[in-house]
Amino acid sequence: MGIREFLEEHPRAAVGAVAAIALILPWLPLGEASGYVTRVATLTMVYMALALGLNIVPGFTGLLDLGYVGFYGIGAYTAGLLTIHYGLSYWVILPLAAMNGALWGILLGAPTLRLTGDYFAIVTFGFAELVGLVIRNELWLTRGPMGIPGIAAPSIFGHVLSKEWEFFYLMLAILVFVVILVRRVENSRLGRAWFAIREDEIAAEACGINIIRYKILAFAVSASIGALAGSFYARWFRFIHPDMFKFWESILVLCLVVLGGMGSVVGVMLGALVMIPMTEILRVGLGAFVDWAGSAGFTWISPDLVNARYLIFGLILVLMMRFRPEGLFPAVRVRGEMHPGSERERDDEDESFYEARTDHEKEPLG
Amino acid sequence: MDLQNLFDMSSLFLQQLVNGLTVGGVYALIAVGYTMVYGVIELINFAHGEIYMFGAFITFHLITVYKVPFFVAALVAVATCAVIGILLDIVAYRPLRNAPRLAALITAIGMSIFFQNVALIKWGAQIKSYPLEALPPFFSDVAVRIGDVQVTWLQVFILATTLLLMFALHTIIHRTKVGAAMRAIAQDKRAAALMGINVNRVISFTFALGSSLGAVAGILVGVFYNAIWPTMGYIAGIKAFAAAVLGGIGSVPGAMLGGVVLGVAEVFGAGYLSSQYRDGIAYAVMILVIVFKPSGLLGKAMIQKV
Repeated sequence: MGIREFLEEHPRAAVGAVAAIALILPWLPLGEASGYVTRVATLTMVYMALALGLNIVPGFTGLLDLGYVGFYGIGAYTAGLLTIHYGLSYWVILPLAAMNGALWGILLGAPTLRLTGDYFAIVTFGFAELVGLVIRNELWLTRGPMGIPGIAAPSIFGHVLSKEWEFFYLMLAILVFVVILVRRVENSRLGRAWFAIREDEIAAEACGINIIRYKILAFAVSASIGALAGSFYARWFRFIHPDMFKFWESILVLCLVVLGGMGSVVGVMLGALVMIPMTEILRVGLGAFVDWAGSAGFTWISPDLVNARYLIFGLILVLMMRFRPEGLFPAVRVRGEMHPGSERERDDEDESFYEARTDHEKEPLG
Repeated sequence: MDLQNLFDMSSLFLQQLVNGLTVGGVYALIAVGYTMVYGVIELINFAHGEIYMFGAFITFHLITVYKVPFFVAALVAVATCAVIGILLDIVAYRPLRNAPRLAALITAIGMSIFFQNVALIKWGAQIKSYPLEALPPFFSDVAVRIGDVQVTWLQVFILATTLLLMFALHTIIHRTKVGAAMRAIAQDKRAAALMGINVNRVISFTFALGSSLGAVAGILVGVFYNAIWPTMGYIAGIKAFAAAVLGGIGSVPGAMLGGVVLGVAEVFGAGYLSSQYRDGIAYAVMILVIVFKPSGLLGKAMIQKV
């Protein structure tokens, strides 16, 4: 029985098994590696939350968002700045960061969400780049390339978190909250409206769904989850820097969503579960390999090979789109959408999955 | 304000204008690549910026490793990039012609990242520069000097090359058979196929044409700033895309105009407003145009049909 069949037949068993492993993970007898493993696990959960947040836009609503890192960065800087300037508790900052993310999501989404797919993707990309430029250049606010060091760790009832396992459980709690939120929304009126927009915008509008409003809501919820993850990251890592919020991160999160399966909550989490540890393994493994090659005299192996893991992200995107566009653990409805039978059907599908297609009053080139 | 001051300011203005035109011409060269591909297959070819980067790096490789003379190296690089462009289409995009557009767009992003990292692994992350002795010596000489304003031969060369290529492109699109086929496909792919046009071959030709112009732009920029690095195509690509959007995507003269306008706006913005936000000007222009006038300067208005 394949993993997918098993998941489909015994979803509770699978979730229970993962939850059980997650709960005891910091206590597994891994000796010296334990702290490192816990750290990677926490990072994986940060990316799971990001993937769940991003998934709402391309997965649920059918729009491509290339600027998700913008909201992640806004969340991280909101948390970092409020902490160093006002010393606010993390429990106050958490909702503030999420609200600030949602606010920027609405500010960006309101004027741009009426755009068609390609244009919308580009605008989100431009937005994230502008966020990056502001973070880098407005020294009075963000200290720019000096970054913000010394952000205090969160505390619970006066106990300041300091051990890896404490952060692990904090992130686990946040992740559980995000999963419940996304699950509840998915099966609500709101979620069904998003799916309707994804599958056929015009039909959805004809059914009385206020498309722009629901798209803005999707964008705001997605942005607030990104900001939430960012706020945790800032208080966990305790140092933030503009380079942490570059375009790469958007692509990495998109990669997780695409690999796992756009629109599938379990899928995108599994995508992160596979990819983030693999990234770590590649980073360490390729580094060791390059060192070994250097000392063994294989001079033709470039030390820049350590960057090959990014190359693998690119290949994953390309190969997945070519051979399994619905992802490894797809949402059932998306699977059908991704495999249109004929060109005619594809033209019809185009109007649905990937937003209404704009038919140009076509003009010859030139 | 005394006269001397005014004179200084106007010469600064002129100098900025010349620099802006030089940069803008290069953006225009890249932008036509985006716009032509968008015209025929309605795909934002994100990997186009990487082709531009390959143009610069292949030239660099030929010059430094094989000691090939500059102009020969440049020609070989342009031809190689044309082939890379065709292969890119055949391997990555053609299988997805009937897939949802989201899939094609994600593939384009994936190819862009793949190319960038191939270059990173092959040539390393450090900024490289062309060895000065390999470049034609007249490049750095001053061609025209008016007061404090000076234009080097390199700038003249860049402007002349840009103009020449734009003229050639215009001729190809409007005066040749394959150009007519491109225009026909942009108008209606299916009808063009029914008229006996080999659609895939024309699309390949479009990729070859766009990629070679992109490669030329990469080489010109590499020489102008004398600095090349593997992620150079990412920023340049986005700016050129902004130029294509500004001019009206799908419109070749629009892309030319958009490139020049954006280049000048950027140089003046950096000079008079804020140099840190130099890159931001392109993004801001792009977002404003997309939001307020998505058809751009020369594109036709889009009508959403049911």
